[in-house]
Amino acid sequence: MASTAGYLARRAAQKERVRLLYRRALKDTLNWAVHRHLFYQDASDLRDKFEANRHVDNLDVVDRLIDDAEAQYRNFQHPDPYIVPWAPGGTKFTRNPPPPQGIEIVYNYGKED
Amino acid sequence: MQAVRALVLQHLRLRAPPSVAARVGGSGPAAVAQCWFARGMSAPADGGGDGGSGSDSAVRARVVELVRKFDKIDADKVTEMADFQKDLSLDSLDRVELVMAFEQEFSIEIPDDKADKLTCCADVAKYIISESQSSNKNAGSS
Repeated sequence: MASTAGYLARRAAQKERVRLLYRRALKDTLNWAVHRHLFYQDASDLRDKFEANRHVDNLDVVDRLIDDAEAQYRNFQHPDPYIVPWAPGGTKFTRNPPPPQGIEIVYNYGKED
Repeated sequence: MQAVRALVLQHLRLRAPPSVAARVGGSGPAAVAQCWFARGMSAPADGGGDGGSGSDSAVRARVVELVRKFDKIDADKVTEMADFQKDLSLDSLDRVELVMAFEQEFSIEIPDDKADKLTCCADVAKYIISESQSSNKNAGSS
């Protein structure tokens, strides 16, 4: 019983790892593709690589495959990935922040008395 | 062409209340033509083409439209409450692709742990709306 639970837990952990790996790899594919039509082909190839090992059910083999794929992902990571402008690290992040509380700007252009 | 038309109309917007058009036109085919002309030459009121911070129903419609265009989904089965995994029979990798499509459509970044919890169109729309509201609050109204 304990072994079944352990098997399922390991299986779930592997699923999560594969999901994260695929998500990151797909984003990285978009970073490397200079045009959208190139990205489609690359993304399809990436998906085929994942699909090729879909029916592997030996846990140790799966672990090894995931390790290999993660290593490959780290090797080919883009040095300057795309970041959404408003996200942390993006070009618009914390640009034009609102003024602090209690500071008021009066726009009467020198006509104050 | 559409973009050029919108651009020109942004600068040449005419205010023509329907009463004016009716008074000038009179009756007959001339009136119909004038009415059509007035409608064709007025720009949409909201300006259009803003970056996904429209009203809630607009966001929801856009999400559903995007899911409908996803090639592994049967477009007839898509509803707001349809579960991606159970009702639309997507596997986990398909869901990753779908979340990436949402990120690009709305130019947002969905964190990894949140991405796993988006299970239906209504969920996604709710997340996008809450995200845009919180970022508006942080960035002021600029």
